Amino acid sequence: MMPRLGSAALALALLVAPAPAAGPFDIPLFATPKAPAAKGSARLVFAESPFGVAVTADGHMRYDVQITAANLPAPSSLGAYRAYVAWAVSSDLAHWQRLGAVTNGVSTVGHIERDKFLLVITAESDSAAAAHVGPSVLHGNSPSSWLQTFLAHSAFFHGVTD
Amino acid sequence: MIRGPWLAALLVATVAATGSAQQHDTTMPPGMPMRSDTTPKRTPPKPMDMPGMSAGAMTMPIPMPKGMVMMPGLVGLAPPGGTFLPGAGVDPATVPSVRPSSVVRLKDGDTLDLSATLVRRTIAGRPYVMYGFNGEVPGPLIRVPQNATITVRFHNRIDLPSAVHWHGVRLDNRYDGAVGVTQQPVAPGDSFVYHVHFPDAGIYWYHPHVREDIEQALGLFGNMIVDSPDSAYYSPANREQVLVFDDLLVNADTLIPYGKKGPDFALMGRVGNVLLVNGEPHYALSAHQGEVVRFYLTNAASSRTYNISFGGAPMKVLASDVSRFEHEERVPSVVLAPAERYIVEARFDKPGRYAIVNAVQAINHFRGEFDAEVDTLGMVTVDSSPAAPDYAGPFDALRDNAAVTRDIDRYRPYFDKPPDKRLTLTMRGNGLPIATVQFMNVDTAYYAPVEWVDGMPDMNWLSTSDQVKWILRDDATGKEDMDIDWHVTQGSVVKLELYNDPKSFHPMQHPIHLHGQRMLVVSRNGVRTTNLVWKDTILVPVGSTVDVLIDASNPGDWMLHCHIAEHLGSGMMTVLHVDPAGGGAR
Repeated sequence: MMPRLGSAALALALLVAPAPAAGPFDIPLFATPKAPAAKGSARLVFAESPFGVAVTADGHMRYDVQITAANLPAPSSLGAYRAYVAWAVSSDLAHWQRLGAVTNGVSTVGHIERDKFLLVITAESDSAAAAHVGPSVLHGNSPSSWLQTFLAHSAFFHGVTD
Repeated sequence: MIRGPWLAALLVATVAATGSAQQHDTTMPPGMPMRSDTTPKRTPPKPMDMPGMSAGAMTMPIPMPKGMVMMPGLVGLAPPGGTFLPGAGVDPATVPSVRPSSVVRLKDGDTLDLSATLVRRTIAGRPYVMYGFNGEVPGPLIRVPQNATITVRFHNRIDLPSAVHWHGVRLDNRYDGAVGVTQQPVAPGDSFVYHVHFPDAGIYWYHPHVREDIEQALGLFGNMIVDSPDSAYYSPANREQVLVFDDLLVNADTLIPYGKKGPDFALMGRVGNVLLVNGEPHYALSAHQGEVVRFYLTNAASSRTYNISFGGAPMKVLASDVSRFEHEERVPSVVLAPAERYIVEARFDKPGRYAIVNAVQAINHFRGEFDAEVDTLGMVTVDSSPAAPDYAGPFDALRDNAAVTRDIDRYRPYFDKPPDKRLTLTMRGNGLPIATVQFMNVDTAYYAPVEWVDGMPDMNWLSTSDQVKWILRDDATGKEDMDIDWHVTQGSVVKLELYNDPKSFHPMQHPIHLHGQRMLVVSRNGVRTTNLVWKDTILVPVGSTVDVLIDASNPGDWMLHCHIAEHLGSGMMTVLHVDPAGGGAR
C-alpha cells in the first residue's frame, strides 16, 4: 500500500503539478456535479507476474489500480454515505467490479482484469459495499477507450490521393 | 571484428548481395547506401462498389483478419524492394522432405556437423520449400552437460548467407555468430567452425543472425538443453517435452514472399496466420493420468508474443532464459515474447483432452474493440492409467531455489543505484503510404502495452526496412543504434534503463536481447521484481520503463537488439563492448 498523503498537501500538488503524461497506464478522473472540486487520477500497475506482463489465461491484462484523489468531500455531505468505493465497469455498463475503498490521497485497489473499462468512484454507505448504490463523484475511462472505430475514415471509404 | 554504422545496411543487403541474385536482377553490394526509391509502387486500384469496398472485388495479396478487408487506400500497392522465396529454380520434388527434430546427446569435446539446407515441408496439406538444420525442423535438439564445450562445424547449404547464433549462451565472443560484429556471413557453400561452451544449465536455442526474418522464419532454429549435474535441479517430472512455437504467413497455396532488399512487415514484424509447434500445426502428446510434464518452451516466432496454457491443467514456472527462478510459482498461463524461454511443469490429473492454446485479447482496429482470440496449438490426451511414479506431492510444493537467491544476493547492492545507461526505444517512418500515415496518426491515440496479433497486416506488409527505422537511442548522447559506442569493463554491474516511448509513430512492445551476458529485471515501472531470474531477453511493453542489471562478466563485443526479426532488420540494434578487466587482450 502506498503511503497516504495529507489531503491538503495532495490537493496542492495536484493543482501545481503538470498534468501527468497520458500513457497506456494513466487514467485522468473527472469530477461530477456531486463533487465539483474533486480531483483525481488513476494509474494501472501491472500485477505481479514472473513474465514480462501480467495477463489472465484468456489474455486480459492484470493490473493493480492506484487511485490518487483530492478534495473529495466527506461522504456524509452527499447523503447517507460513509465511504467512497472504486468500480471497474464494462463499456456497456453491464458489469460492475468492486475494486476497493478510496480516500483522499493514494489508494491501491484492484485487481482489474479488463482491457477496456470505465473507472467510477461512488459514495456508498459502507466501504465494503458489494453493489453500487450511491452517486458517482469521479469517473474516467481506461486508456484503451481512445480506440476509435475507423470504418468511416476517409482512408477506408475514399482511398487517398498522392 | 567488424565495426561501423553500416552494419544495418549490410544485414538488410545480404539477400540482394548474394542469395537471390539468381532470382532477381537487382543486386546491391554490402554496405551500399539504401536505394532512394522507397515509394510503394501503385497499380490502378480496382473498382469498389460500396461505401468503401467489396472485398470480393479487390486483390488481397495478404490475408486479413476475419471480418476485415484491406484498406482501399492501400489497394494496388506492393512493398518496394522486390521479393524473395527460397529455392528459386529448384524443382520442389527434388528437395528432401523435412524430418522431425532428433536428439543429439553430446559430451565435452564432441563435434557436431550442422548444415543449413533446403527442405520440403507439408503444412496443413500444402507443400512449401523452406529451410532446416540437418534436414530437420526444428533443428537437432542438442543436449549437453553443463560446462561442456562442443565443436560445431556449420555448413551453409542454402541460398542465402548465414551464420549460427547460440542464443543465451555465455560463450567465447568469437563464436557468437553475430554477423557484422563477430564474424562475416558464411556464404552459400562455405563453412564456419564454432566452439560453444555452456556455463549455465537450462534451455537455449540456436538460429541464424542474418536475415532472421527469412531464415529463422523458414525453419532455421533448434534448441540446446544444458543439463545440470544436480539430478534434483528441477522438481521431478514424468516426462520432458520441448515445444518451439513459431508461425507462418501463407495465402492460398503460397508463402507470402519475403522482402528481397530488406524486411517487409517492418512496422510490427511478420505475424503468421498458421501457428506451429515444433514446425507442425497440430502438436499431439499422450500422457497418463496424473503425469507431471516438464515443458521447455521457446518462442522462435519473428514477432508474435504468446500467452500459452494447457487446457486448465495446473502449472508452475520453474525457470527462464539463463537460470531457475528464485521461487517456483503457480501461473495460469505463460507469456512468451520472441526469443524468450520458460521451463514449466503441468500436471494432468484427470483423463481427457487438454488443448494447448494461445489465448489473447486482439485489438479490432475497425471497431475499436478487443476481441478474444484463441488458437489451439495442440492437444494433450490423457488416459486413465495412473502415472508412475506419482509426482503429485512434489508438483504441489513450490520450491525455493536458495542457490539462485545466493547468486543474486551479490547483485542486490546494485539494485537501487541510478541507471548507468538509458535507452529509449522508438522509431521513425519515412516514405510510408499516405493511407498508413493517416490511419496511424489517429489510431495511435491508444497504444496497447502488448500487441498480440497483427490487426492491420496490409499496412504492416507495406512497410519495409527502407521506410521504417527502429531505434535504440542513448539518452545521454542522443546517438542511435550502431552509432552508440558503449564500453564497460568486464566484471562491472551495469544498470540499464529501457524506456519504450509511447509517443512514437508506432509504439510497440520490444523483446530486447543482449548477447553473451545475463541480466536481471530489477523493476518494471518502478515496481521492484520480487521473484528474480537471470534473463537474456526482456519484454519491454509500450510506455514501460524496465530497469535491468547486466552482469558484464563476459568480455567481447555483444549485440543488444530487439528480437522482433523485422525490427532488428530495420536497425534496432547496438553493441555493448565489454572490455577485459585489466585491459588485457580479448
